[in-house]
Amino acid sequence: MTASSLTDDQRYGAALAALGAAPGTLRKFLDGYGAVEAWEAIARGRHRADPQRRYRDKAVPATLEKVGAACARSGVSVMVRGHPGYPPALASDRQAPAVLFSTGDVTALEGRPRVAVVGTRSATQYGLGMASELGRDLARAGVVVVSGLALGVDSAAHAGALGFDGAAPTVGVLGTPLDTSATPSQMVLRDAIAVRGAVLSEIPPGVHSARWWFAVRNRVMAALAHVVVVVECHQRGGSLHTVSAALARGVTVMAVPGSVRSSASAGTNRLLVEGAVPVRDVDDVLTAVELAVVARPEITPPCRRRDEKASVSSVSPRPVLGTVSGRVRQALDHDPATLEDVVRRSGLPLGDVALALEQLAEAGMAVGEQGWWSRPRR
Amino acid sequence: MLACVPSATLHGVDGRSVSVEVHVSSGLPGFTVVGLPDAAVRESRDRVRAALLSSGLSWPLRRVTVNLAPSGVRKTGAGLDLPIAIGLLVAAGALPSDRVEGTGFVGELGLDGSVRPVPGIVSVVAAIAAEQIVVPAGASAEAALVAGARVRPVSTVAELVGALRGQTPWPAVPVSAAGPGPGPRQPDLSDVRGQLVARRALEIAAAGGHHLLLVGAPGSGKTMLATRLPGILPDLTRDEALEVLRIHSAAGVGTSGGAFPSRPPFRAPHHGATEVAIVGGGTSWLRPGEISLSHTGVLFLDELGEFPATVLDALRQPLEEHVIRVRRARGAVDFPARFLLVGAMNPCPCGEGGLPGACRCNDVMRRRYLRRLSAPLLDRFDLAIALGRPDVEDLLGGPPGDSSAVVGARVRRARAMALGRGVRCNAELPIDGIEDRTTLSADAAALLERRLRSGTLSARGLHRVRRVALTVADLDGASGVDERHVAEALQLRAARAALVSEAGR
Repeated sequence: MTASSLTDDQRYGAALAALGAAPGTLRKFLDGYGAVEAWEAIARGRHRADPQRRYRDKAVPATLEKVGAACARSGVSVMVRGHPGYPPALASDRQAPAVLFSTGDVTALEGRPRVAVVGTRSATQYGLGMASELGRDLARAGVVVVSGLALGVDSAAHAGALGFDGAAPTVGVLGTPLDTSATPSQMVLRDAIAVRGAVLSEIPPGVHSARWWFAVRNRVMAALAHVVVVVECHQRGGSLHTVSAALARGVTVMAVPGSVRSSASAGTNRLLVEGAVPVRDVDDVLTAVELAVVARPEITPPCRRRDEKASVSSVSPRPVLGTVSGRVRQALDHDPATLEDVVRRSGLPLGDVALALEQLAEAGMAVGEQGWWSRPRR
Repeated sequence: MLACVPSATLHGVDGRSVSVEVHVSSGLPGFTVVGLPDAAVRESRDRVRAALLSSGLSWPLRRVTVNLAPSGVRKTGAGLDLPIAIGLLVAAGALPSDRVEGTGFVGELGLDGSVRPVPGIVSVVAAIAAEQIVVPAGASAEAALVAGARVRPVSTVAELVGALRGQTPWPAVPVSAAGPGPGPRQPDLSDVRGQLVARRALEIAAAGGHHLLLVGAPGSGKTMLATRLPGILPDLTRDEALEVLRIHSAAGVGTSGGAFPSRPPFRAPHHGATEVAIVGGGTSWLRPGEISLSHTGVLFLDELGEFPATVLDALRQPLEEHVIRVRRARGAVDFPARFLLVGAMNPCPCGEGGLPGACRCNDVMRRRYLRRLSAPLLDRFDLAIALGRPDVEDLLGGPPGDSSAVVGARVRRARAMALGRGVRCNAELPIDGIEDRTTLSADAAALLERRLRSGTLSARGLHRVRRVALTVADLDGASGVDERHVAEALQLRAARAALVSEAGR
């Protein structure tokens, strides 16, 4: 979409978002005003939501042009709440963004159940594995995976959902403008999501974003989701914002249990204690999704594939292990352990353990990262 | 009325022979020093004058010119006080010139006429070609290590003048200059409970001269392990001991008190140290830095990530060439710097990042912490291991591991095998040497090939792994390198991968 193809509502809506007001203020700007009307009222210092006239100086034609150009340059679509094109999935939320920016196809959000899969950036191998597995299985069951495109759990969930053709789309909600650059791998992921689904942001392109946007955008994920799954999170973390936003909306919160010794599972385990629904595998999530969408005829319920597990195990028979490799594998656990621990638990010389680990890793039966070893999850 | 007295000054860690010429002539009383003296040498006029007067000798009220030959070389330090004083006495006629014939002098003077030790006495004495060399009594034991019976220790100017005039006998030379002393007791490896992998890594580092990086949370025993590395290194040879003695003497640190150092030195500079303190240099007097003080021994850099990036990058050249070339506008010196580098660091600023998922640092903090470690520096570490906190049961009296003596014996055996390949240790094997002098089993070659193809091993890493695998084989007493040795070498550098990828970002 180019600047010329933006309607006046879209152009002025984007410019209003670029004034730097908090989401609540922006909603008030457009409450009872059309976008053009609101803009002109602010520019004249007569808008009732801006009694201090704090935004008057910014509401100049230059801002309008700059935002329009930035949207055109980065191919970003603009959606204004209450106007055609704004996702119905979000429109009814009390705290929905008044103006939303997207790349990709936002209709991907409609007609399918949506599950937010969120978690910490510094995830363990276990958390990453779970996130990617849930993403894959949810997408396969026709569920839209919504996540925040951050490193760690979020990216793993998206990547899992993109893992094969014919899956449901996946939707990313950014806490930065859509034209912000990220690490190369994140950019690849972002582009892939835009092709298969949509990437959303409530911050206009070409604007410097602030850290607080990350916490604020979590409410968008909670508003979109029928179920929120927290895969791994620390005692204090951004995922907990999503959880409280979900609870405020009556959205089911689920958590993946983790080792009680893993700091990365401290937050999820606490959620479980406080009443979150535990997730053992994708079936637990699908059950919750079915319950959440049972009264919503416009949403296709997820389809389960009961035959998956049987076929997976018949495809790859376990390789036969020698006694040394067997003992080393026995010594591995799902929690990462140092080489030291593996040597001690197996009671074998370092050379034998080292060789066995090399062989196990090649066979996909051990995972080594940064000198820490664990069993792969599946 | 001219006198010429042999002496020497310090240049870097080497001595340079200096001839002190004193001319006393009629004219207005005055005292001039020529021949590129530094401030300490120029001030010697006042010290010499007071020392002579305090010793009951007279100061000639005539025109005195002191020339320090060769004139083009900068002279530093107060060690020329004594030769200037003696030259003055001879030129003024207070001492017959034939009494000082063939005698060299070095020493700083106190205002009371005492003769004080100067830094670098070992190198200075070695540079003086004379039948006998007068040195300060306080430094005579060290001087005797290189000059033996030629040393004449004196503690005051009066004593020296008496001996030169033949009125009193020379004071006796200390006898401790015999063989190597026992050296200070070094901490023993058997104090370390558990930590099987880290102990093994220390042993391989000592045997092969492989630089070692310890990555672990606070309290995982990084410092304790590093301080035990010198204890398993072989004793110094006489040549090495002499080098160590010269460097330490020149830097004026930790002198051995008249015995050859027998054990490799261990230096652990704080991360606040400046680049000059680490690599050597200085404004007027080029001093050896920590990397030279740890020559033949171990340089331990605790909290590697806290050292300034410039300091760490300055280590790269000496790590390759075993010598640090300090170049200044006023002069240039080469300091020997062949050391075993042991780095210790937390995996990230919070210290908990080793265990995947336990870290509470954000990406920016982690990246900033690891940015100082350049990939080329990390490449120099052949061994990099992740340490966990030790097991509680081990701490409370698990079985002690091998003592330093037992491990040291294995290390000596492995070093002997490296000597058979024409290098001091396997880390010094040139690339063609690895190919020519080691046999790699087919399994081992296949393992390396798989790692190369999967991209988890670089070409540069390949040679390092092969050297370490060779050391592992040597320690096991094996004739060739097999799959287990290679696997062990690969595992013992696993902790490096994460750091390199983070630092490279």
